[in-house]
Amino acid sequence: MSASVIGAVIYLGISLVAALVFFAITLAGDYTWVARIGGSLWIFMLGNIVLMPLVIPRVKRWRGG
Amino acid sequence: MGETKRADGVGAHGRAPLQMPIRGMTCASCVATVEGALKSVPGVSAAVVNLASEKAAVEISDPQKANLPELVKAVHEVGYEVGTEKVTISVGDMTCASCVEHVEGALRELAGVTRAVVNLPTERAAVEYIPGLVGVADFRHAIEDVGYKFQGLVEEGAAALDREREARQKEISRQRRNLIISWALGLVIMVGTFQPYWFLPRVVPAFMNNKIFLFFLTTPIVFGPGRQFFINSWNGLKRGLTDMNLLYATGIGAAYLIAVINTFFPDAGFGGREATFYEAAALLTAFIILGRYLEAVTRGRTSEAIRRLMKLQPKRARVLRDGQEVEVAAEEVQIDDLLLVRPGEAIPVDGMVTEGYSSVDQSMITGESIPVEKKGGDEVIGGTINKTGAFRFRATRVGKDTALAQIIKLVEEAQTTKAPIQKIADKVAGHFILGVHALSLAVFLFWFFVGFGLWFSPESRLILTPYMLTGLGVFGFALLVSVTVLVISCPCAVGLATPSAVMAGTGKAAEYGILFKGADALESTARLQVVIFDKTGTLTKGEPSVTDVVAVGRSEQEVLRLAAVAEKNSEHPLGEAIVRGARATGMEVQDADGFEAIPGHGVEARLNGRTVLLGNRRLMAQRNVSLDGLMPQAERLEGEGKTAMFVAVDGQPAGIVAVADTLKETSAQAVKELHRMGLQVAMITGDNRRTADAIARQVGIDRVLAEVLPEDKASEVKKLQAEGLKVAMVGDGINDAPALAQADSGIAIGSGTDVAKETGHVILVKDDLMDVVAAIQVARQTLRLIKQNLGWAFGYNTAAIPIGAGLLYPFFSQVVSPELAALLMATSSLSVTMNTLRMRGYIPPIRRARLAEAKA
Repeated sequence: MSASVIGAVIYLGISLVAALVFFAITLAGDYTWVARIGGSLWIFMLGNIVLMPLVIPRVKRWRGG
Repeated sequence: MGETKRADGVGAHGRAPLQMPIRGMTCASCVATVEGALKSVPGVSAAVVNLASEKAAVEISDPQKANLPELVKAVHEVGYEVGTEKVTISVGDMTCASCVEHVEGALRELAGVTRAVVNLPTERAAVEYIPGLVGVADFRHAIEDVGYKFQGLVEEGAAALDREREARQKEISRQRRNLIISWALGLVIMVGTFQPYWFLPRVVPAFMNNKIFLFFLTTPIVFGPGRQFFINSWNGLKRGLTDMNLLYATGIGAAYLIAVINTFFPDAGFGGREATFYEAAALLTAFIILGRYLEAVTRGRTSEAIRRLMKLQPKRARVLRDGQEVEVAAEEVQIDDLLLVRPGEAIPVDGMVTEGYSSVDQSMITGESIPVEKKGGDEVIGGTINKTGAFRFRATRVGKDTALAQIIKLVEEAQTTKAPIQKIADKVAGHFILGVHALSLAVFLFWFFVGFGLWFSPESRLILTPYMLTGLGVFGFALLVSVTVLVISCPCAVGLATPSAVMAGTGKAAEYGILFKGADALESTARLQVVIFDKTGTLTKGEPSVTDVVAVGRSEQEVLRLAAVAEKNSEHPLGEAIVRGARATGMEVQDADGFEAIPGHGVEARLNGRTVLLGNRRLMAQRNVSLDGLMPQAERLEGEGKTAMFVAVDGQPAGIVAVADTLKETSAQAVKELHRMGLQVAMITGDNRRTADAIARQVGIDRVLAEVLPEDKASEVKKLQAEGLKVAMVGDGINDAPALAQADSGIAIGSGTDVAKETGHVILVKDDLMDVVAAIQVARQTLRLIKQNLGWAFGYNTAAIPIGAGLLYPFFSQVVSPELAALLMATSSLSVTMNTLRMRGYIPPIRRARLAEAKA
């Protein structure tokens, strides 16, 4: 598996988990479905943006080294 | 990219040893030295050097420890060179400090690249590399791989200038077009959005507030001028890189998406039709593009100094060939060609006057405001302007070797280097974007789960607008604050802050004949605490001259005349000084009837039947000349650091001629100025302590390093550095080279026009100590400018982050709108731009005083 695929699996995976955790928490409160889904999507997107530059170089280094 | 091309992978698997060309080896012992040096680098498992092919094969076991720069350093430290070449690449699509990091990172990752420095304002990457290991094709690949444009290698000279200007003009036109579209539509959208408020219902038709109408106006902005941010950020993200574009894209994209959803699906829960942020998406784009446009304009302005220098290069020359005057292109002039220059014309190349007399304005090269007189035997500099008379001169340096070409090259190279302060700023900016997204995430979670429930009021407003946020739900509100944080935090002016100031500073310094070899030299000069002057030739004129004449029983004029006659045939520097001194007073120095040098003592001459003795005490004692009456004056003169030579006529004392290496006219004033600027001033010399102290007293120097052998000057500099001081060494670029190299700032003075040969970090074209003061003043002003620029670049945004994150909301129920955040961001770009442009009118205070004196 190439470094970029491994990286994608990691950052997408972590962001997805974060978004699901967010979604699960909102289920316990009084939120609209739009807030729940929209919020989860926003968390997923920002999570990816934060994680991509952290994960990709590390995976590349790990695979290259 | 092939695995073996990567610096971190070279030889890592023990497959391909790294091949390095080594220069300067002459024998087997050199081979052993280089091998030893390479093997001493941690992570190197083997090194074999081949003298014949001048190559070293290095096997690397740990690429983390043994990288290329370490290997090059090891070879340098033992006195050899790694054969490298340099290219300058024009890189397109860079917009911010993080782009700089991305391109530099991509280039440095290539095996064979020893240095890569990217300059954002000039859009250039200066790359030093080992040919054979890596090449231009690899650079192209690496740059394109991280999402930027490889625009070719930068050529030298006017063609490059034209090409660069064309590219810059294209970028300015592109951003201007974007600016016009986004602002024209953006203002209509803003008026439409606020149509129901204030007096607007009376003057603005209601349809302009229609959300579909606003949708049709906003969409072309987001997908027209705003498209670049989405494309650039996606290109970066694909490679795991974040830059300012991502902040813009997230901000614009989120505002636009919510507006579209609220327009077409008002019941989706995002606040409905009353919470469409079309004006936010439009004005956000407009402000960001305003910032981009200002940056594009600034880039052009800061490289004006180079452009001005290049413009000085004359295009045509009048050459005398076979007695005929022929006009040729300046590039066609050859060494030893005889050229003719008429009044008002520019001198085409460097040379030496053979015939004629004129005054030449050299201010553009040396910064000297008064025209310099030129006669036969004097040097003339290409690019300077002949003022009054016509003259002929022989070309001595042409093409790339002329002073002007060397100065342009030096300034250009300096502008592609990085100041230490910039490296820190780049690093901070690189991490800042990631931090901003993390902060935005945290702010979203806070307002979603905590803040909204505690403080949200339907009366909420966006700061400075009548816009109510009544219909906004928890998600819409948390998203609005989150987006605002993204936009408000963007330090988009950071990428410009330092390099634009460095370009302005090095360019300004060049106007005064002060050449900084790099941004690091500029910064270290600004931080100096001690300035050490070499004595001979730097503080003093470097050639002895007559300072005092003491006469007994005859006139001073007569004593000097007798001494000069005695020394007329002498080749001793002191004797020559006496003859020169006598001639300077207008007297005719006749030949002696007889002359005899007495080595180590003086001379004896016969003149009109009289015997004239000139020499030291020992000579006088040997000839039984009594010096009793002259001793007090002799001791006084020696106490002042002068050499006293006694004159006796027919065995009777006649007087003393004192000779000393005299101070330059500006030495004392320069030292005084440096003291006034809070610097310590020291003098270094091989002279004895008494003479050194005497000179130091005259000039006002407080620290004297006397009896220092030339080879020990560098270690004296080192000693001062060991005291924790930032030291400048001012001296002759050739004799004092080791000390200049050791100093934090080595200032080579009076290099004249052959600047390329000079060692040192700062080169002063003129032999004027006041330029040392001017150099420090320009450097300090530039560093001040850099700090101010960084303050403007980070300041606004950092101060505004808490407000953007909703800190004031619980108290005032107001939040910052994304467009206001973008306005703040554009303001920081504008501040940096304006602040840098201030340097254009800067005159170092020491020069200001001189200009005032000249005018008076």
